[in-house]
Amino acid sequence: MDHRLIDSVRRQASPHEVDLVDSFTEGRISRRSFVNRGMMMGIGAPLIAAVLAACGSDTKTSSAPAGSTASAGTTASAGSTASAGTTASSGSTAPAKIKQGGTLRIAAQTPAAPLDPVAMADLGTYTPVTTAFEYLVDILGADVKPMLAEKWSPNADGSVWTFNLRKGVKWHDGTPFTAADVVATMDRLSASNLKSYIDAGSTKAVDDFTVEITLKHPDGQFPQQVGAYNPQSVITPKDFVIGTTLDQRKTGTGAFKLTSYDPATGATFDANPDWWGGKPFLDKLQYIYSDDMATQMSGLQGGAADAIVQFTVVGGEALLSDDKVTVEVIHGSGHRQMWMNCREGDFTDKRVRQAVALGIDRQALIDNVLKGKGDIGNDHPISPIYPFFDASVPQRQRDVAKAKQLLSDAGKAGLSATLYFPKLQEIPQLAQLIQSQLKDIGMNVTLQQESVVDGEEWCKVYDSKNEPAGCDGGKDFGIVDYGPRGVPDVYLVKAYATGEWNSAHYISEPMRAAVKEYQSSLQLDGQKAAITKIETIANEDVPYVIPYFYNTLVAYSKNVTGIVSTGLGHFYCGKAGFTA
Amino acid sequence: MGRYLLRRLASAIVTLWLLATIVFLMVSVLPGDVGRSVLGPFALKEDVARFNHQIGTDRPLISQYFTSIRRLFTLDFGDSFQSGGHVSKIIFPALFRSGKLALLAFVITIPISIAAGIFAARRQDKISDRVVVNTGLATSSIPDFVTAAVLLSIFCVHWKLGKVFADPPVGTSIIGQLPYLVTPALALVVAYFGYIARMSRAGVINGLQADYARTATMKGLSKGAVMRKHILRNALAPTITVISVQIGYLFGGIVGVEKVFNYHGLGSTMLNAVTSHDIPVLQGAVLLVGIVYMVSTLLADVLIAFLNPRVRLETAR
Repeated sequence: MDHRLIDSVRRQASPHEVDLVDSFTEGRISRRSFVNRGMMMGIGAPLIAAVLAACGSDTKTSSAPAGSTASAGTTASAGSTASAGTTASSGSTAPAKIKQGGTLRIAAQTPAAPLDPVAMADLGTYTPVTTAFEYLVDILGADVKPMLAEKWSPNADGSVWTFNLRKGVKWHDGTPFTAADVVATMDRLSASNLKSYIDAGSTKAVDDFTVEITLKHPDGQFPQQVGAYNPQSVITPKDFVIGTTLDQRKTGTGAFKLTSYDPATGATFDANPDWWGGKPFLDKLQYIYSDDMATQMSGLQGGAADAIVQFTVVGGEALLSDDKVTVEVIHGSGHRQMWMNCREGDFTDKRVRQAVALGIDRQALIDNVLKGKGDIGNDHPISPIYPFFDASVPQRQRDVAKAKQLLSDAGKAGLSATLYFPKLQEIPQLAQLIQSQLKDIGMNVTLQQESVVDGEEWCKVYDSKNEPAGCDGGKDFGIVDYGPRGVPDVYLVKAYATGEWNSAHYISEPMRAAVKEYQSSLQLDGQKAAITKIETIANEDVPYVIPYFYNTLVAYSKNVTGIVSTGLGHFYCGKAGFTA
Repeated sequence: MGRYLLRRLASAIVTLWLLATIVFLMVSVLPGDVGRSVLGPFALKEDVARFNHQIGTDRPLISQYFTSIRRLFTLDFGDSFQSGGHVSKIIFPALFRSGKLALLAFVITIPISIAAGIFAARRQDKISDRVVVNTGLATSSIPDFVTAAVLLSIFCVHWKLGKVFADPPVGTSIIGQLPYLVTPALALVVAYFGYIARMSRAGVINGLQADYARTATMKGLSKGAVMRKHILRNALAPTITVISVQIGYLFGGIVGVEKVFNYHGLGSTMLNAVTSHDIPVLQGAVLLVGIVYMVSTLLADVLIAFLNPRVRLETAR
């Protein structure tokens, strides 16, 4: 290690940058975590490269557009779309030339709502909207890269963030993209999606290509709020009127321009030759809508589509074994929570909840329900993809004898309960296996399938005054799904620390304090310490059994490469194309 | 004939009014808050209330009912809750798509099945008759979506002879659309062949045994002329009635086939509207299917009257 160079870097760095550099040089975080965290904190690529060079690591850091593995007009590697948090399970890694031209036909979920970038709330809508519009920050799994902002940095306490915008970006109508667009977008979002972070007027244009955002509260991970995991934070033009839809005003800064849209059948996009990331390989994108996964799969296998935005293991087995299809596995933080009512009913005693958690054979669930496409959970929502994940918290293993003992101690031996669950993806099979596994600890579980995931069984009243916020009523025992997020804040704040989505009615002051500590920590060390507490408390109190983090699956034909998917509906094709 | 058509038109208006009333009542008893269903569980109460006010679901039922009837007679069903676009922009393209598929299916089915019915009737109780009857029985007992799935797997996915998605790309010529539509149309042909063939067979057998056929033969007409001029005119009336009813079904009821081939006809539009609580689209689409039923039965009656002079006389009274 070149200590002189490291010292030189430390002298130029701000306190939170020094913390990150120290974390890396002292071996507390991996190279990948260092790069990802560095990008998140807005530390420039030169500084990251200098530290890596000083430590004798590979000095290449990427600031290329989403999904880029090659520049337009050059060659890329087939199947080389995996990045941090993602691994390609199949597909060639041999270099292959990408042809210029062609139309990529993508089987996609039908939008459930108008293409309104501010109000959109479903994956089907995210896909076309984020094909045209872009974010300040490009986030994929735990990877953070520049998008419309080239770099960003916080002040000392993380309450003010400065974003330096990319120059030379144009809207699809040719108008230049400037700070005024970002200011107007943030002001619009201050009334909705970023309400808890900023007020109207909190965002100021320092100059044409610099904006300064003053937060209501310090947040060390604010860039996460202006990236893909906060889908509505796409940047729209300064004169964009709330309620306008993409098909009403066909604009954006993305690699493809919307040309036609039919909410029933699909959408078509033409390549944007002026895209800041370079002219796309493809001439056109065509989204073909279908809500039926089997139909989408038939389309891919029968040659009517070249890609599927995403599919699930259950029902998707045919693609997993099809050697003409590349299946990309995205490791993420999406999971299922089996809630137990901590306030009233049979699960108020912690020993009962622990018994349920001990009665679950997690690996068997992953193997049987997900066909191995998942990562084991430990009854807390911190996925292994997060840089602050603490693997030292002991993994809960199945222990039938101990579970029986705990039930007996709590006076609940032979407990009968009804498990409510939605008819969604693999959840019915998960519920059946859980029923069978809990039989071994003497529990008699009755299954009750519901049609929707967020029905009254989960939270009957969403703005109850009985709890500090939100969720009240609902059933005592059930399963609900949580989608992938780049940071666990949504899970922690909404399900554990407040009551908005708190179906378990879990109130724990130590947990709330730990979540607050995590959110206000700017340095990784502080976040890690808080997350360790969170993992420990959640694992001990078990308001929710979290058996696994499921992987998201994306499929495309073998002759397609360069697609990048977040697992949340985004399907970046700026650098995608057909192999020659 | 003019009076007859006027009478049918008046009857159609009453039927449509009844249909609109039934649809309104069905939608009114759907459980749950419309605003909550559309905006989702996380929407604020005020937003839900504002939405319900915008779409009028907070008004008294009788007021909502009159709005619904007004929409029927102006054919203006408002905006879709789901896409935000005007309902007409959703249901009329869906109607057009359904019409294309129904037309192709009938263009293939009707000549084949009527010919098969005549063929079987003329060879009544012979092996060829049994083959037609039993084949028809077998094919019509298989649900159309099962046939569709099998055809899709074999012809489209495995052999790649047909298109997996039946919706052709925008701008495809009429001839260019045929490869997209032919496989789902074949699934419908398989489903309807047996039904129509058996109807025409039964009609022709009755005709062959009728006195007027014997008289026509005895006066020296050829077999072909007897069949064409006398038997078919009588025998086809029930077949035409069956076909007219099936046209309505083909527009609104083949959800399974549409789903298998990812075809966005009226059937899948209605299913989607039901599952997403898109009431304006549901109302518009159901009424459109009702209109299709009425028009097809009216056309069938006119055609039967044209073929059968006795019907013409009755209608003239």
